[in-house]
Amino acid sequence: MTLVLKGVMQSPVTPLKDDFSPDYETFEKLVDFHVRTGATAISWPHHKAESHNLTIPERKKLTEVAIKTVAKRVPISIHVSALALEDTYDLARHAQKAGADAIIAITPYFWKYQPDAIYDYFVDLGTSIDLPLIAYNSPSYLDGIEFTGELTGRLIQRLPNLIGMKEASFNSEKFFEILRAALPLRPNFAMIAGVEYLLPSVSLGGAGSYSSAGAICPNLCVDLYDSCASGNWARARELQYKLSQLWLLFRDQYPSSLKGGCVIMGRPVGPTSPPLPTASPERIKFIEQQLEALGILDSEPHGW
Amino acid sequence: MTAFKFGLVHAPVTPFANGRLDLAGYGSVLDFHLQHGAEALALPMHAGESVSLTVTEREALLEFALSHVKSRIPVIANVSEAGTGIAASLARHAAKAGAAAVIASVPYYWKPPQHMLVAHFLAIAEAGELPLFVLNAPAEMNEVEFASKSVVDLIRRTPLMAGLIDMSLDWQYMIEVITVARATRADFQLVSGAEYMISAAAIGATGMLSPLAGIAPKLIANLYALCMAEKFREARPAQEQAAILFRAVRDAGVAGLKSGIRAMGRNCGAPRPPLRALDATEAKALLAQISAAGVMNSEPRGWM
Repeated sequence: MTLVLKGVMQSPVTPLKDDFSPDYETFEKLVDFHVRTGATAISWPHHKAESHNLTIPERKKLTEVAIKTVAKRVPISIHVSALALEDTYDLARHAQKAGADAIIAITPYFWKYQPDAIYDYFVDLGTSIDLPLIAYNSPSYLDGIEFTGELTGRLIQRLPNLIGMKEASFNSEKFFEILRAALPLRPNFAMIAGVEYLLPSVSLGGAGSYSSAGAICPNLCVDLYDSCASGNWARARELQYKLSQLWLLFRDQYPSSLKGGCVIMGRPVGPTSPPLPTASPERIKFIEQQLEALGILDSEPHGW
Repeated sequence: MTAFKFGLVHAPVTPFANGRLDLAGYGSVLDFHLQHGAEALALPMHAGESVSLTVTEREALLEFALSHVKSRIPVIANVSEAGTGIAASLARHAAKAGAAAVIASVPYYWKPPQHMLVAHFLAIAEAGELPLFVLNAPAEMNEVEFASKSVVDLIRRTPLMAGLIDMSLDWQYMIEVITVARATRADFQLVSGAEYMISAAAIGATGMLSPLAGIAPKLIANLYALCMAEKFREARPAQEQAAILFRAVRDAGVAGLKSGIRAMGRNCGAPRPPLRALDATEAKALLAQISAAGVMNSEPRGWM
């Protein structure tokens, strides 16, 4: 289990056709675009990939396409979370068979349960496969259900394949509490901010982030990580302020506006599947104005 | 107008004797902070049981502090109140008494709309004609947050709006505020209202408000200095110690803070009702945490 994650890792959206079925061809182009523009790893399908709106067979097929397209150029992890845990175990087994380098999973959806239930679930999941496992913490989306430092520490001691965490609280105390429990037990444990909040996370000892805006502005993502990693904090601040504005632009009804932004960058990925809205022409126009004001249109690649 | 620089500001506790303000004891508390690295004092904060003091007591406390400190360092008055008129009146008194700036949180109990929050702070600023720092502490204040748009609105309406003290620890909020506020006023100050200084300083905070300085002033001064020098990696051990103290004292409240200060050889008595002092078991648990933070032997003991 020697996979060490760092930098800005990209989690592609899922391109859809007008009937909301997966657009496999465009998906290949998008995954390839991320690998060519600096992604240090690929991870799919996070919630921005509309994971909940895809059927299990669709997820499996797209997983195979993603792994084939990445073709070992960077590590690829598969997000296996589903409402029913039986589906999760199935997706995890499939990811391993398909050749993924790791899996990633969030705390179970919807139900309220004690921390021990999270422990038991991750032990079951982590021991059901022979792959590195990344835990995913998102208390604000799961009504306060979360990993604490204590729980993370216990899991690290139990699971040799628990190599990192996607941490989406965006909160200094929560992030640091998990980090300082994990690193003494596993020095390469990767604390990965949920989106590009690299300035506060890398300064605290984080390994990098996943990404909301990588399909729009990969150069900015790479530049921000490099500035943080090299300790150029003044430059990092300037870039972080810009990237954070993009997150605020995309956050609401995520990934609807993000997919709208892809149209402007010459990389259309189709609509967003219901119940999420698809960005209207007016919304796309507004996003274009924002991207222009932030200088994105001039500094980032256009087209594939 | 907002030349006042926040810096490292200590938040002293308020001693009581037989249920009444113990001003002699308060003099000892203030002297301790003066000798141990405070660049300014903010009083009475929640750590100083502001909410349990009458308006008359708050005014007496501030006047005593100002006469005791004798302009050696600035004194900032906390004028947070439920009613706008009372808060404004406290600000007027603070100015007359010689305070250097005022701090105000969103009003207690009420959940006013954002435009009324702006009006609340504007009234306070105009009454005192002192630099105003708004305290954003949603976890303490019924989840009422001072929105970034309102920060900008207030900046536009008064040159006295000097900065925001953040206790949310929320990266999304902190970066949004500093981005939009600095675009409106370049010298706008973001202050960390908790001792999580690495991430705050990376984001661009230039001040810290610290109740924990009453327990471990050397640790707090060291953490602050390293963060201001952007030596974030070197600051991590101090940040870990501060995090352990922060969580122990936050969970035990003002009673915990006073108990911790007492453990360092400085008896500040019990908190005022409805708060109660820690019982022996609770005090022992807190002491174990302070020991775990590693400050028992490295920090000043007693009043000197």
